Amino acid sequence: MMGDGSGPSQLFEQWRKQFEEGAQVWMRLISQTTAASAPPTPDPTAFWRPVLDQGVQTWAKLFAQSPATPELLTQWKQFLDQWIEAWSRVLGQAMGTEQFAKLMGQSLDQMLVAAAPAKKAMDQQIEQALQALNLPSRTQLTAVAKQLVELEDRIDRLEESISAKLRRLAEREPR
Amino acid sequence: MGPERFADVVERFTSGFAADAPAETIKQWQEELERGLRRLRNLQGMVTNPVEPKTGQTPRVEVYKRNKSRLYRYESARTHRTPVLFVPNLGISRPYIFDLLPGGSFIEHMTRQGFDFYLLDWGVFGPEDNDLTVDECVTRILPRMARRVLETSGTDELSVIGYCMGAPISASFVASHPEVSVKNFVNMAGPIDFTKVGLFGLWLGKENFNVDRFIDTLGSVPADMVKAGFKLLKPTMDLSTNLNLWWNLWNDKYVEGFQALNKWANEYVAFPGEFFRQWVRDFYQDNKLYRGELVMGGRPIRLERITCPVFVVGAKEDYIAPPECVRALIDSVGSREKEYIELPGGHISLIAGRGAAVHCWPKVSAWLAPRS
Repeated sequence: MMGDGSGPSQLFEQWRKQFEEGAQVWMRLISQTTAASAPPTPDPTAFWRPVLDQGVQTWAKLFAQSPATPELLTQWKQFLDQWIEAWSRVLGQAMGTEQFAKLMGQSLDQMLVAAAPAKKAMDQQIEQALQALNLPSRTQLTAVAKQLVELEDRIDRLEESISAKLRRLAEREPR
Repeated sequence: MGPERFADVVERFTSGFAADAPAETIKQWQEELERGLRRLRNLQGMVTNPVEPKTGQTPRVEVYKRNKSRLYRYESARTHRTPVLFVPNLGISRPYIFDLLPGGSFIEHMTRQGFDFYLLDWGVFGPEDNDLTVDECVTRILPRMARRVLETSGTDELSVIGYCMGAPISASFVASHPEVSVKNFVNMAGPIDFTKVGLFGLWLGKENFNVDRFIDTLGSVPADMVKAGFKLLKPTMDLSTNLNLWWNLWNDKYVEGFQALNKWANEYVAFPGEFFRQWVRDFYQDNKLYRGELVMGGRPIRLERITCPVFVVGAKEDYIAPPECVRALIDSVGSREKEYIELPGGHISLIAGRGAAVHCWPKVSAWLAPRS
Protein backbone atom coordinates (compact mmCIF):
# COMPACT_ATOMS: atom_id res chain seq x y z
CA MET A 1 0.00 0.00 0.00
CA MET A 2 1.28 3.44 -0.83
CA GLY A 3 2.12 5.89 1.89
CA ASP A 4 1.75 9.21 0.00
CA GLY A 5 -1.33 10.74 -1.63
CA SER A 6 -0.23 10.08 -5.22
CA GLY A 7 -2.08 6.71 -5.39
CA PRO A 8 -5.63 8.07 -5.14
CA SER A 9 -4.68 10.93 -7.46
CA GLN A 10 -3.61 8.46 -10.13
CA LEU A 11 -6.78 6.45 -9.65
CA PHE A 12 -9.01 9.51 -10.03
CA GLU A 13 -6.93 10.83 -12.93
CA GLN A 14 -7.54 7.56 -14.76
CA TRP A 15 -11.26 7.76 -14.04
CA ARG A 16 -11.37 11.37 -15.23
CA LYS A 17 -9.61 10.44 -18.51
CA GLN A 18 -12.03 7.59 -19.07
CA PHE A 19 -14.98 9.93 -18.51
CA GLU A 20 -13.60 12.55 -20.90
CA GLU A 21 -12.84 9.99 -23.58
CA GLY A 22 -16.35 8.57 -23.21
CA ALA A 23 -17.84 12.05 -23.54
CA GLN A 24 -15.75 12.72 -26.66
CA VAL A 25 -16.95 9.48 -28.28
CA TRP A 26 -20.55 10.48 -27.58
CA MET A 27 -19.95 13.95 -29.02
CA ARG A 28 -18.45 12.44 -32.19
CA LEU A 29 -21.44 10.13 -32.53
CA ILE A 30 -23.88 13.03 -32.11
CA SER A 31 -22.03 15.27 -34.57
CA GLN A 32 -22.08 12.48 -37.21
CA THR A 33 -25.86 12.34 -37.09
CA THR A 34 -26.38 16.12 -37.37
CA ALA A 35 -26.46 17.70 -40.82
CA ALA A 36 -23.28 19.37 -42.06
CA SER A 37 -25.08 22.69 -42.52
CA ALA A 38 -26.51 22.69 -38.98
CA PRO A 39 -25.03 25.16 -36.46
CA PRO A 40 -22.33 23.67 -34.20
CA THR A 41 -23.76 21.82 -31.20
CA PRO A 42 -22.79 23.42 -27.86
CA ASP A 43 -20.04 21.44 -26.15
CA PRO A 44 -21.42 20.32 -22.76
CA THR A 45 -17.98 19.11 -21.67
CA ALA A 46 -16.89 22.74 -21.62
CA PHE A 47 -19.09 23.15 -18.54
CA TRP A 48 -18.31 19.81 -16.96
CA ARG A 49 -14.52 19.91 -17.34
CA PRO A 50 -13.72 22.50 -14.65
CA VAL A 51 -16.26 20.94 -12.27
CA LEU A 52 -14.92 17.47 -12.92
CA ASP A 53 -11.29 18.56 -12.51
CA GLN A 54 -12.08 20.29 -9.26
CA GLY A 55 -14.10 17.30 -8.05
CA VAL A 56 -11.28 14.89 -8.89
CA GLN A 57 -8.75 17.06 -7.05
CA THR A 58 -11.05 17.41 -4.02
CA TRP A 59 -11.79 13.71 -3.77
CA ALA A 60 -8.14 12.72 -4.25
CA LYS A 61 -7.18 15.17 -1.48
CA LEU A 62 -9.89 13.87 0.79
CA PHE A 63 -9.00 10.24 0.28
CA ALA A 64 -5.37 11.05 1.05
CA GLN A 65 -6.51 12.70 4.31
CA SER A 66 -5.60 10.82 7.45
CA PRO A 67 -7.64 10.72 9.61
CA ALA A 68 -10.84 11.68 7.75
CA THR A 69 -12.91 14.52 9.26
CA PRO A 70 -16.54 15.65 8.69
CA GLU A 71 -15.01 18.25 6.38
CA LEU A 72 -15.32 15.45 3.84
CA LEU A 73 -19.09 15.91 3.81
CA THR A 74 -18.81 19.68 3.31
CA GLN A 75 -16.52 19.10 0.35
CA TRP A 76 -18.99 16.57 -1.00
CA LYS A 77 -21.84 19.09 -0.67
CA GLN A 78 -19.79 21.76 -2.45
CA PHE A 79 -19.01 19.31 -5.23
CA LEU A 80 -22.72 18.53 -5.67
CA ASP A 81 -23.57 22.26 -5.68
CA GLN A 82 -21.05 22.86 -8.43
CA TRP A 83 -22.32 19.85 -10.35
CA ILE A 84 -25.91 21.14 -10.21
CA GLU A 85 -24.79 24.64 -11.17
CA ALA A 86 -22.89 23.25 -14.17
CA TRP A 87 -26.01 21.38 -15.29
CA SER A 88 -28.09 24.48 -14.75
CA ARG A 89 -25.76 26.41 -17.06
CA VAL A 90 -25.85 23.66 -19.70
CA LEU A 91 -29.66 23.62 -19.63
CA GLY A 92 -29.84 27.41 -19.53
CA GLN A 93 -27.66 27.60 -22.63
CA ALA A 94 -29.80 25.03 -24.45
CA MET A 95 -33.07 26.74 -23.49
CA GLY A 96 -31.73 30.14 -24.40
CA THR A 97 -31.45 29.23 -28.07
CA GLU A 98 -33.84 30.38 -30.77
CA GLN A 99 -34.34 26.71 -31.81
CA PHE A 100 -35.57 25.72 -28.34
CA ALA A 101 -37.95 28.70 -28.16
CA LYS A 102 -39.32 27.83 -31.62
CA LEU A 103 -39.72 24.17 -30.73
CA MET A 104 -41.49 25.02 -27.49
CA GLY A 105 -43.80 27.48 -29.27
CA GLN A 106 -44.63 24.91 -31.97
CA SER A 107 -45.35 22.18 -29.40
CA LEU A 108 -47.61 24.51 -27.45
CA ASP A 109 -49.40 25.56 -30.63
CA GLN A 110 -49.96 21.95 -31.65
CA MET A 111 -51.27 21.13 -28.20
CA LEU A 112 -53.68 24.09 -28.32
CA VAL A 113 -54.88 23.25 -31.83
CA ALA A 114 -55.57 19.69 -30.72
CA ALA A 115 -57.07 20.73 -27.39
CA ALA A 116 -59.44 23.44 -28.65
CA PRO A 117 -62.08 21.21 -30.35
CA ALA A 118 -61.88 18.60 -27.57
CA LYS A 119 -62.35 21.30 -24.90
CA LYS A 120 -65.28 22.83 -26.81
CA ALA A 121 -66.99 19.46 -27.21
CA MET A 122 -66.48 18.57 -23.56
CA ASP A 123 -67.78 21.98 -22.39
CA GLN A 124 -70.91 21.51 -24.52
CA GLN A 125 -71.49 18.01 -23.17
CA ILE A 126 -71.14 19.14 -19.57
CA GLU A 127 -73.40 22.13 -20.21
CA GLN A 128 -76.09 19.89 -21.68
CA ALA A 129 -75.78 17.35 -18.85
CA LEU A 130 -76.12 20.06 -16.20
CA GLN A 131 -79.06 21.60 -18.03
CA ALA A 132 -80.79 18.21 -18.10
CA LEU A 133 -80.25 17.91 -14.33
CA ASN A 134 -81.60 21.44 -13.85
CA LEU A 135 -78.28 22.59 -12.36
CA PRO A 136 -76.42 25.81 -13.18
CA SER A 137 -73.38 25.41 -15.41
CA ARG A 138 -69.93 26.96 -14.90
CA THR A 139 -70.64 29.45 -17.71
CA GLN A 140 -73.86 30.56 -16.02
CA LEU A 141 -72.17 30.95 -12.64
CA THR A 142 -69.32 32.89 -14.24
CA ALA A 143 -71.86 35.18 -15.92
CA VAL A 144 -73.52 35.89 -12.55
CA ALA A 145 -70.13 36.54 -10.93
CA LYS A 146 -69.26 38.92 -13.79
CA GLN A 147 -72.48 40.83 -13.21
CA LEU A 148 -71.61 41.15 -9.52
CA VAL A 149 -68.16 42.50 -10.43
CA GLU A 150 -69.78 45.03 -12.76
CA LEU A 151 -72.31 46.04 -10.10
CA GLU A 152 -69.54 46.53 -7.55
CA ASP A 153 -67.70 48.67 -10.05
CA ARG A 154 -70.78 50.82 -10.67
CA ILE A 155 -71.35 51.31 -6.94
CA ASP A 156 -67.70 52.33 -6.61
CA ARG A 157 -68.04 54.89 -9.38
CA LEU A 158 -71.25 56.25 -7.84
CA GLU A 159 -69.57 56.55 -4.44
CA GLU A 160 -66.66 58.38 -6.00
CA SER A 161 -68.82 60.84 -7.90
CA ILE A 162 -70.98 61.50 -4.78
CA SER A 163 -67.95 62.12 -2.58
CA ALA A 164 -66.40 64.38 -5.26
CA LYS A 165 -69.63 66.40 -5.42
CA LEU A 166 -69.80 66.60 -1.61
CA ARG A 167 -66.19 67.85 -1.52
CA ARG A 168 -66.99 70.54 -4.09
CA LEU A 169 -70.09 71.56 -2.12
CA ALA A 170 -68.11 71.75 1.10
CA GLU A 171 -65.51 73.94 -0.60
CA ARG A 172 -68.21 76.31 -1.89
CA GLU A 173 -70.03 76.63 1.47
CA PRO A 174 -69.43 79.99 3.17
CA ARG A 175 -67.65 79.73 6.51
CA MET B 1 5.14 2.56 -9.22
CA GLY B 2 1.87 1.15 -10.56
CA PRO B 3 -1.57 2.61 -9.80
CA GLU B 4 -2.99 1.76 -6.40
CA ARG B 5 -6.00 -0.57 -6.18
CA PHE B 6 -9.28 1.06 -5.18
CA ALA B 7 -9.69 -1.50 -2.35
CA ASP B 8 -6.37 -0.30 -0.89
CA VAL B 9 -7.57 3.30 -0.90
CA VAL B 10 -10.78 2.33 0.88
CA GLU B 11 -8.91 0.28 3.45
CA ARG B 12 -6.46 3.09 4.10
CA PHE B 13 -9.32 5.56 4.38
CA THR B 14 -11.31 3.50 6.89
CA SER B 15 -8.41 2.21 9.00
CA GLY B 16 -6.87 5.71 8.97
CA PHE B 17 -10.06 7.05 10.55
CA ALA B 18 -10.55 4.27 13.06
CA ALA B 19 -7.00 3.76 14.28
CA ASP B 20 -5.20 7.11 14.36
CA ALA B 21 -8.03 9.60 14.78
CA PRO B 22 -7.29 12.22 17.43
CA ALA B 23 -9.89 13.10 20.07
CA GLU B 24 -10.83 16.32 18.21
CA THR B 25 -11.74 14.39 15.05
CA ILE B 26 -13.79 11.86 17.00
CA LYS B 27 -15.66 14.76 18.61
CA GLN B 28 -16.31 16.26 15.18
CA TRP B 29 -17.73 12.98 13.92
CA GLN B 30 -19.92 12.69 17.01
CA GLU B 31 -21.31 16.16 16.32
CA GLU B 32 -21.92 15.17 12.72
CA LEU B 33 -23.73 12.05 13.89
CA GLU B 34 -25.93 14.18 16.16
CA ARG B 35 -26.73 16.45 13.23
CA GLY B 36 -27.62 13.38 11.19
CA LEU B 37 -30.02 12.21 13.90
CA ARG B 38 -31.60 15.68 14.12
CA ARG B 39 -31.99 15.62 10.32
CA LEU B 40 -33.87 12.34 10.54
CA ARG B 41 -36.05 13.62 13.40
CA ASN B 42 -36.99 16.79 11.47
CA LEU B 43 -37.60 14.81 8.29
CA GLN B 44 -39.93 12.48 10.18
CA GLY B 45 -41.73 15.52 11.61
CA MET B 46 -42.11 17.09 8.16
CA VAL B 47 -43.52 13.89 6.69
CA THR B 48 -45.72 12.60 9.49
CA ASN B 49 -46.79 15.82 11.19
CA PRO B 50 -46.49 18.74 8.75
CA VAL B 51 -47.03 22.12 10.44
CA GLU B 52 -48.73 24.92 8.51
CA PRO B 53 -46.30 27.85 8.72
CA LYS B 54 -47.78 31.06 10.15
CA THR B 55 -47.07 33.64 7.48
CA GLY B 56 -48.18 37.27 7.28
CA GLN B 57 -48.17 38.01 11.01
CA THR B 58 -47.62 41.79 10.96
CA PRO B 59 -50.90 43.35 12.22
CA ARG B 60 -52.94 45.00 9.47
CA VAL B 61 -56.39 46.28 8.60
CA GLU B 62 -58.22 46.08 5.31
CA VAL B 63 -58.96 49.64 4.25
CA TYR B 64 -60.44 49.02 0.81
CA LYS B 65 -61.53 46.20 -1.42
CA ARG B 66 -62.54 46.08 -5.00
CA ASN B 67 -63.57 42.74 -6.46
CA LYS B 68 -60.67 40.40 -5.55
CA SER B 69 -58.17 43.16 -4.79
CA ARG B 70 -57.55 44.39 -1.25
CA LEU B 71 -55.67 47.32 0.21
CA TYR B 72 -54.10 46.60 3.60
CA ARG B 73 -52.66 49.15 6.01
CA TYR B 74 -50.05 47.87 8.46
CA GLU B 75 -49.69 48.97 12.07
CA SER B 76 -46.68 51.21 12.64
CA ALA B 77 -45.29 53.84 14.97
CA ARG B 78 -45.55 56.34 12.13
CA THR B 79 -42.50 58.59 12.14
CA HIS B 80 -42.56 59.49 8.44
CA ARG B 81 -45.43 61.57 7.14
CA THR B 82 -45.56 60.22 3.57
CA PRO B 83 -47.30 56.85 3.32
CA VAL B 84 -45.89 54.04 1.15
CA LEU B 85 -48.03 52.11 -1.32
CA PHE B 86 -46.44 48.77 -2.21
CA VAL B 87 -47.52 47.33 -5.57
CA PRO B 88 -46.44 43.71 -6.16
CA ASN B 89 -46.96 41.41 -9.13
CA LEU B 90 -50.46 40.44 -10.28
CA GLY B 91 -50.89 36.69 -10.66
CA ILE B 92 -47.95 34.24 -10.36
CA SER B 93 -47.72 34.19 -6.54
CA ARG B 94 -49.30 35.49 -3.32
CA PRO B 95 -47.93 38.63 -1.65
CA TYR B 96 -47.32 37.11 1.81
CA ILE B 97 -43.71 36.62 0.70
CA PHE B 98 -43.24 40.26 1.74
CA ASP B 99 -44.39 39.42 5.26
CA LEU B 100 -43.19 35.85 5.46
CA LEU B 101 -42.17 35.39 9.11
CA PRO B 102 -41.50 37.68 12.07
CA GLY B 103 -37.88 38.78 11.82
CA GLY B 104 -37.84 37.94 8.12
CA SER B 105 -40.40 40.32 6.69
CA PHE B 106 -39.94 43.34 4.42
CA ILE B 107 -43.24 44.79 5.64
CA GLU B 108 -42.25 44.35 9.29
CA HIS B 109 -38.94 46.10 8.52
CA MET B 110 -40.66 49.04 6.88
CA THR B 111 -43.20 49.47 9.67
CA ARG B 112 -40.42 49.31 12.29
CA GLN B 113 -38.66 52.06 10.37
CA GLY B 114 -41.76 54.19 10.93
CA PHE B 115 -43.39 54.03 7.50
CA ASP B 116 -47.16 54.11 7.14
CA PHE B 117 -47.16 51.04 4.90
CA TYR B 118 -49.93 49.92 2.53
CA LEU B 119 -49.94 46.69 0.54
CA LEU B 120 -52.00 46.20 -2.57
CA ASP B 121 -52.99 42.54 -2.75
CA TRP B 122 -54.31 42.01 -6.30
CA GLY B 123 -55.99 38.78 -5.18
CA VAL B 124 -56.64 35.43 -6.78
CA PHE B 125 -58.67 35.83 -9.94
CA GLY B 126 -61.25 33.40 -11.26
CA PRO B 127 -62.85 32.87 -14.70
CA GLU B 128 -65.25 35.78 -14.01
CA ASP B 129 -62.22 38.11 -14.07
CA ASN B 130 -60.89 37.01 -17.45
CA ASP B 131 -61.87 40.37 -18.97
CA LEU B 132 -59.62 42.31 -16.57
CA THR B 133 -56.86 44.09 -18.47
CA VAL B 134 -53.57 45.82 -17.60
CA ASP B 135 -55.33 48.98 -18.75
CA GLU B 136 -57.96 48.56 -16.03
CA CYS B 137 -55.32 47.93 -13.37
CA VAL B 138 -53.47 51.13 -14.33
CA THR B 139 -56.39 53.47 -14.95
CA ARG B 140 -59.06 52.16 -12.57
CA ILE B 141 -57.72 50.03 -9.72
CA LEU B 142 -54.44 51.80 -8.94
CA PRO B 143 -55.88 55.36 -8.86
CA ARG B 144 -58.59 54.18 -6.44
CA MET B 145 -56.06 52.43 -4.23
CA ALA B 146 -53.83 55.53 -4.23
CA ARG B 147 -56.79 57.75 -3.32
CA ARG B 148 -57.67 55.44 -0.41
CA VAL B 149 -54.09 55.59 0.81
CA LEU B 150 -54.22 59.40 0.79
CA GLU B 151 -57.65 59.50 2.46
CA THR B 152 -56.80 57.05 5.26
CA SER B 153 -53.35 58.44 5.95
CA GLY B 154 -54.56 62.04 5.88
CA THR B 155 -51.87 63.25 3.49
CA ASP B 156 -51.82 64.61 -0.04
CA GLU B 157 -48.69 62.78 -1.22
CA LEU B 158 -47.55 59.16 -1.25
CA SER B 159 -44.51 57.07 -2.18
CA VAL B 160 -44.96 54.10 -4.50
CA ILE B 161 -42.82 50.95 -4.48
CA GLY B 162 -43.32 48.57 -7.39
CA TYR B 163 -41.95 45.05 -7.26
CA CYS B 164 -41.56 42.72 -10.26
CA MET B 165 -44.42 43.35 -12.74
CA GLY B 166 -45.89 45.70 -10.12
CA ALA B 167 -43.11 48.12 -11.11
CA PRO B 168 -43.98 48.63 -14.80
CA ILE B 169 -47.69 48.70 -13.87
CA SER B 170 -47.19 51.31 -11.16
CA ALA B 171 -44.71 53.24 -13.34
CA SER B 172 -47.45 53.41 -16.00
CA PHE B 173 -49.85 54.72 -13.35
CA VAL B 174 -47.42 57.34 -12.00
CA ALA B 175 -46.55 58.49 -15.54
CA SER B 176 -50.20 58.89 -16.58
CA HIS B 177 -51.85 60.26 -13.41
CA PRO B 178 -50.25 63.60 -12.54
CA GLU B 179 -53.33 64.43 -10.44
CA VAL B 180 -52.15 61.84 -7.86
CA SER B 181 -49.15 63.37 -6.16
CA VAL B 182 -46.41 60.71 -6.01
CA LYS B 183 -43.50 61.96 -3.94
CA ASN B 184 -41.08 59.05 -4.56
CA PHE B 185 -41.02 56.05 -6.83
CA VAL B 186 -39.05 52.86 -6.17
CA ASN B 187 -38.63 50.08 -8.72
CA MET B 188 -37.56 46.79 -7.19
CA ALA B 189 -36.64 44.16 -9.79
CA GLY B 190 -39.29 45.42 -12.19
CA PRO B 191 -38.65 44.96 -15.91
CA ILE B 192 -38.84 48.12 -18.00
CA ASP B 193 -36.92 47.44 -21.23
CA PHE B 194 -38.39 44.13 -22.36
CA THR B 195 -35.79 43.57 -25.08
CA LYS B 196 -33.38 42.68 -22.26
CA VAL B 197 -35.68 40.48 -20.24
CA GLY B 198 -33.89 37.14 -20.79
CA LEU B 199 -35.46 33.72 -21.34
CA PHE B 200 -39.08 34.79 -20.87
CA GLY B 201 -38.51 37.50 -23.47
CA LEU B 202 -37.29 34.89 -25.94
CA TRP B 203 -40.02 32.35 -25.19
CA LEU B 204 -42.84 34.89 -25.27
CA GLY B 205 -41.55 36.66 -28.39
CA LYS B 206 -43.90 37.18 -31.35
CA GLU B 207 -42.10 34.59 -33.48
CA ASN B 208 -42.35 31.86 -30.85
CA PHE B 209 -45.55 32.43 -28.92
CA ASN B 210 -49.07 32.94 -30.23
CA VAL B 211 -50.71 34.69 -27.29
CA ASP B 212 -54.07 35.03 -29.09
CA ARG B 213 -54.40 31.30 -29.72
CA PHE B 214 -53.33 30.61 -26.14
CA ILE B 215 -55.93 32.86 -24.52
CA ASP B 216 -58.68 32.14 -27.07
CA THR B 217 -58.32 28.43 -26.30
CA LEU B 218 -57.70 28.41 -22.55
CA GLY B 219 -59.46 31.62 -21.49
CA SER B 220 -56.80 32.35 -18.86
CA VAL B 221 -53.35 31.15 -17.82
CA PRO B 222 -54.03 28.39 -15.29
CA ALA B 223 -51.88 28.28 -12.15
CA ASP B 224 -50.33 24.97 -13.24
CA MET B 225 -49.15 26.55 -16.46
CA VAL B 226 -47.64 29.51 -14.59
CA LYS B 227 -45.85 26.97 -12.41
CA ALA B 228 -44.56 25.02 -15.42
CA GLY B 229 -43.19 28.22 -16.99
CA PHE B 230 -41.29 29.21 -13.87
CA LYS B 231 -39.97 25.69 -13.24
CA LEU B 232 -38.69 25.57 -16.80
CA LEU B 233 -36.82 28.80 -16.29
CA LYS B 234 -34.54 27.09 -13.76
CA PRO B 235 -35.00 23.30 -14.02
CA THR B 236 -32.35 22.49 -11.41
CA MET B 237 -33.94 24.73 -8.78
CA ASP B 238 -35.91 21.96 -7.05
CA LEU B 239 -32.83 19.73 -6.95
CA SER B 240 -30.64 22.35 -5.29
CA THR B 241 -33.49 23.40 -2.95
CA ASN B 242 -33.91 19.83 -1.72
CA LEU B 243 -30.17 19.30 -1.44
CA ASN B 244 -29.87 22.43 0.69
CA LEU B 245 -32.83 21.31 2.77
CA TRP B 246 -31.16 17.97 3.51
CA TRP B 247 -27.90 19.73 4.35
CA ASN B 248 -29.61 22.13 6.79
CA LEU B 249 -32.35 19.81 8.00
CA TRP B 250 -30.72 19.57 11.46
CA ASN B 251 -31.31 23.32 11.95
CA ASP B 252 -34.84 23.99 13.29
CA LYS B 253 -34.70 27.68 12.36
CA TYR B 254 -33.77 26.80 8.76
CA VAL B 255 -36.59 24.25 8.59
CA GLU B 256 -39.11 26.84 9.82
CA GLY B 257 -37.98 29.33 7.15
CA PHE B 258 -37.93 26.62 4.50
CA GLN B 259 -41.48 25.52 5.24
CA ALA B 260 -42.80 29.07 4.98
CA LEU B 261 -40.91 29.79 1.78
CA ASN B 262 -41.80 26.40 0.32
CA LYS B 263 -45.49 27.00 1.01
CA TRP B 264 -45.29 30.29 -0.88
CA ALA B 265 -43.14 28.88 -3.69
CA ASN B 266 -45.73 26.19 -4.46
CA GLU B 267 -48.79 28.41 -4.36
CA TYR B 268 -49.06 29.69 -7.91
CA VAL B 269 -51.76 32.09 -9.03
CA ALA B 270 -53.46 32.15 -12.43
CA PHE B 271 -53.42 35.15 -14.79
CA PRO B 272 -56.74 36.58 -16.05
CA GLY B 273 -56.89 35.95 -19.80
CA GLU B 274 -57.13 39.50 -21.16
CA PHE B 275 -54.57 40.75 -18.67
CA PHE B 276 -52.06 38.18 -19.92
CA ARG B 277 -52.85 38.94 -23.57
CA GLN B 278 -52.16 42.66 -23.07
CA TRP B 279 -49.17 42.04 -20.80
CA VAL B 280 -47.46 39.77 -23.33
CA ARG B 281 -48.38 41.79 -26.41
CA ASP B 282 -47.72 45.34 -25.17
CA PHE B 283 -44.83 44.68 -22.84
CA TYR B 284 -42.97 41.53 -23.91
CA GLN B 285 -43.62 41.57 -27.64
CA ASP B 286 -43.88 45.27 -28.52
CA ASN B 287 -41.95 46.82 -25.60
CA LYS B 288 -44.44 49.71 -25.74
CA LEU B 289 -43.76 51.07 -22.24
CA TYR B 290 -40.06 51.63 -22.87
CA ARG B 291 -40.67 52.91 -26.40
CA GLY B 292 -43.27 55.41 -25.17
CA GLU B 293 -46.04 53.92 -27.34
CA LEU B 294 -48.34 52.71 -24.58
CA VAL B 295 -51.81 54.26 -24.32
CA MET B 296 -54.10 53.31 -21.44
CA GLY B 297 -57.62 54.60 -20.87
CA GLY B 298 -56.94 57.15 -23.60
CA ARG B 299 -53.90 58.47 -21.71
CA PRO B 300 -50.45 58.18 -23.30
CA ILE B 301 -47.91 56.62 -20.96
CA ARG B 302 -44.56 58.42 -21.17
CA LEU B 303 -41.97 57.43 -18.61
CA GLU B 304 -40.26 60.81 -18.98
CA ARG B 305 -43.32 62.30 -17.27
CA ILE B 306 -42.18 60.69 -14.03
CA THR B 307 -40.34 63.57 -12.40
CA CYS B 308 -40.30 62.60 -8.72
CA PRO B 309 -37.15 61.12 -7.14
CA VAL B 310 -36.64 57.58 -8.44
CA PHE B 311 -34.76 54.68 -6.84
CA VAL B 312 -34.13 51.52 -8.88
CA VAL B 313 -32.93 48.25 -7.35
CA GLY B 314 -31.70 45.40 -9.53
CA ALA B 315 -30.51 41.94 -8.46
CA LYS B 316 -27.27 40.61 -9.89
CA GLU B 317 -28.47 37.01 -10.37
CA ASP B 318 -32.04 37.83 -11.38
CA TYR B 319 -33.00 35.65 -14.36
CA ILE B 320 -36.67 36.77 -14.35
CA ALA B 321 -35.93 40.51 -14.57
CA PRO B 322 -32.20 40.80 -15.34
CA PRO B 323 -30.58 43.98 -13.95
CA GLU B 324 -30.12 45.60 -17.37
CA CYS B 325 -33.88 45.54 -18.11
CA VAL B 326 -34.64 46.96 -14.64
CA ARG B 327 -31.98 49.66 -14.85
CA ALA B 328 -33.58 51.00 -18.05
CA LEU B 329 -36.00 53.07 -15.94
CA ILE B 330 -33.16 55.36 -14.90
CA ASP B 331 -32.57 56.41 -18.52
CA SER B 332 -36.27 56.85 -19.25
CA VAL B 333 -37.64 58.99 -16.42
CA GLY B 334 -37.61 62.77 -16.38
CA SER B 335 -36.51 62.93 -12.72
CA ARG B 336 -33.49 64.95 -11.75
CA GLU B 337 -32.90 62.86 -8.67
CA LYS B 338 -32.47 59.22 -9.60
CA GLU B 339 -30.32 56.39 -8.33
CA TYR B 340 -29.63 52.80 -9.35
CA ILE B 341 -28.13 50.09 -7.18
CA GLU B 342 -27.40 46.48 -7.99
CA LEU B 343 -27.51 44.08 -5.08
CA PRO B 344 -26.47 40.45 -4.69
CA GLY B 345 -29.21 37.83 -4.99
CA GLY B 346 -31.94 36.76 -7.35
CA HIS B 347 -35.48 37.90 -8.08
CA ILE B 348 -36.90 36.53 -4.81
CA SER B 349 -33.85 36.69 -2.55
CA LEU B 350 -33.65 40.41 -3.36
CA ILE B 351 -36.72 41.01 -1.23
CA ALA B 352 -37.13 37.90 0.96
CA GLY B 353 -34.72 36.07 3.23
CA ARG B 354 -31.60 36.77 5.27
CA GLY B 355 -29.70 38.37 2.38
CA ALA B 356 -32.54 40.83 1.75
CA ALA B 357 -32.59 41.87 5.40
CA VAL B 358 -28.90 42.72 5.17
CA HIS B 359 -28.54 44.12 1.65
CA CYS B 360 -31.88 45.34 0.35
CA TRP B 361 -34.40 46.45 3.00
CA PRO B 362 -32.10 48.89 4.83
CA LYS B 363 -31.14 50.50 1.50
CA VAL B 364 -34.76 51.02 0.45
CA SER B 365 -35.84 52.40 3.84
CA ALA B 366 -32.71 54.57 4.10
CA TRP B 367 -33.37 56.05 0.64
CA LEU B 368 -37.05 56.71 1.39
CA ALA B 369 -36.70 58.02 4.98
CA PRO B 370 -35.21 61.50 4.29
CA ARG B 371 -37.64 61.94 1.38
CA SER B 372 -40.73 61.02 3.40
